[in-house]
Amino acid sequence: MIKSRAGWSHRALMLLLMVYLLLPLAATLLYGFAKQWQTTVLPESWTFEWFSEMFRDLRFLEALWTSLYLCAISVALSLAVMLPAVFVITVYLPKWETFMKGIVVLPYAVPGVVAAVGLIRAYSGGPIDIAGTAYILIGAYFIVVLPYMYQGIRNSLITVSAVELLHSAELLGASRKRAFVTVILPNIWPGVIISTLLSFSVLFGEFVLTNMLVGGHIQTIQVYLYRRVGESGHLASAIAITYFLFILALSTVLMKLGKKMNGVAEK
Amino acid sequence: MSASYLELRGIRKMFGDSTVLNDVDLSIHEGELVTLLGPSGCGKSTLLRCIAGLTEPDGGSIMMGPTNIGELPPRRREVGMVFQSYALFPNLTVYENIEYGLKMRGADKKERQSRCEELLALVDLENKKEAYPQQLSGGQQQRVALARSLAVQPKVLLLDEPLSALDAKIRKSLRTEIRDIQKRLKMTTIFVTHDQEEALTVSDRICIMNNGNIVQDGSPEELYAKPRTEFVARFMGSYNVLSREEAGRLFGVAGGSAASYALRPESVRLLPASAGEARGDRRVADGTIESISVLGNIVRYSVVSSGVKLTVDALNDGQSHRGDEGATVVLELDPSQLLALEKEGA
Repeated sequence: MIKSRAGWSHRALMLLLMVYLLLPLAATLLYGFAKQWQTTVLPESWTFEWFSEMFRDLRFLEALWTSLYLCAISVALSLAVMLPAVFVITVYLPKWETFMKGIVVLPYAVPGVVAAVGLIRAYSGGPIDIAGTAYILIGAYFIVVLPYMYQGIRNSLITVSAVELLHSAELLGASRKRAFVTVILPNIWPGVIISTLLSFSVLFGEFVLTNMLVGGHIQTIQVYLYRRVGESGHLASAIAITYFLFILALSTVLMKLGKKMNGVAEK
Repeated sequence: MSASYLELRGIRKMFGDSTVLNDVDLSIHEGELVTLLGPSGCGKSTLLRCIAGLTEPDGGSIMMGPTNIGELPPRRREVGMVFQSYALFPNLTVYENIEYGLKMRGADKKERQSRCEELLALVDLENKKEAYPQQLSGGQQQRVALARSLAVQPKVLLLDEPLSALDAKIRKSLRTEIRDIQKRLKMTTIFVTHDQEEALTVSDRICIMNNGNIVQDGSPEELYAKPRTEFVARFMGSYNVLSREEAGRLFGVAGGSAASYALRPESVRLLPASAGEARGDRRVADGTIESISVLGNIVRYSVVSSGVKLTVDALNDGQSHRGDEGATVVLELDPSQLLALEKEGA
């Protein structure tokens, strides 16, 4: 109903905005399929060459795989550490919350380049010599997603009034561990899943830290894309589009899952 | 009634520098419903949480029979608690919520089922057992919370402002229902509220709390008729609290040496200005009506007499209109209704 009442000026504005946002993407898509595109508005001839070359390139698939598992490991690690930590802080040590809030905004406050240089200096040599390895990247990724994980888990706990649920369960005879598993976890799970997927998307798109920390040693999809931009614009376009579609698919799953989870909660 | 069932001795709790509970003693008999009544921040909820084990007191003991439950974790204390926000488990159905405690205590399936059915019948929610908490109204959620805490047959039931989130009508019917269930099960119950009307209707005994102390306790009738201090007088009803000097002006010479006196608003009679003689040993005084408010079955007048402002309640019987605002009236005062109050903290 509201839709049909929107005036033509609103629609025109929306359309303009959509065109402005989608045009570069459409152009990239076309460029990825173009064979000849010099003096005309649209390409003169078409080809699948770039896409097939990309998929024939083992390094592309390898880079995609590397990114996937590095992000997955980092997010899983973050989940394993943050879920119990945030739970304990929110429920039993609320005094620490101020401290945590400060810590959690630090990744925003420090620019990626500065963080990367600092990390490389700190971890090349000395007792922990891990510069240029996957370990330093996973460590950095852990920090990058800290704000998302902390806020997501904390908000879920507060939304379901975790403290009171826990007290109720304890008074009904549940041990703390059992109360956590039977009452807290099922209720915060939807929120936790969303934070996890969000963190994953953020890491999958992260470039500055990745390139500076391990660019020379480990080919993630971001690093791979950066390398090949110089070789051929067409190929880079094909990679960018594939990469975009991948993120799109991930986001869709995330949103669908979010809706479904809310649906369950409202059932 | 038997000897005390739950015995609190010298319960003390500080939050930072402020004393929330100041050496509170309280003993409760088996099957009794005791209300902790007081303004917000008086420590009543904290005391309840100390009994449940959710807040650790800084000192004192909590004995249930021969057991010092103060040393036990909440789940071993055998107390049930209903929270102000109900705290139902959103991921479980009504049935599963009620069943939860039985499951945690390792009851077998058959026992759990019969007990749940029994409780669903008790709170009249048999047709809602497959529903999730968020599909229920506030009143229904509250009844599920009650059934859930009763399922494990606690020795003491704690109710923390269980009705404050509900609207007035449901609150009234639910408090009668809670009282009925409590009587039927002979459940020893502690009920926390800030609503004196609620306290008067449900309790066997009321403990009035202020600043971390129990300032007076007794049956509802006792507390209403004989408030000991000004705080209790003001909290329990719309008592007129008069200084000694004011009481002297209204009643002639005030007997006794109390600093202040309480006078129930319904003990003063308003007569039209033409009425003359006082009956018996009562006194008459002239006054002016300042304002009138109709509170349903009673009409509340604010009257000024000899420079003292008095609240006077009269039954709204529709026939004895005592005059409009600004009218001059005669007050009939009964000196025997004047209650001497103790100093606060005495």
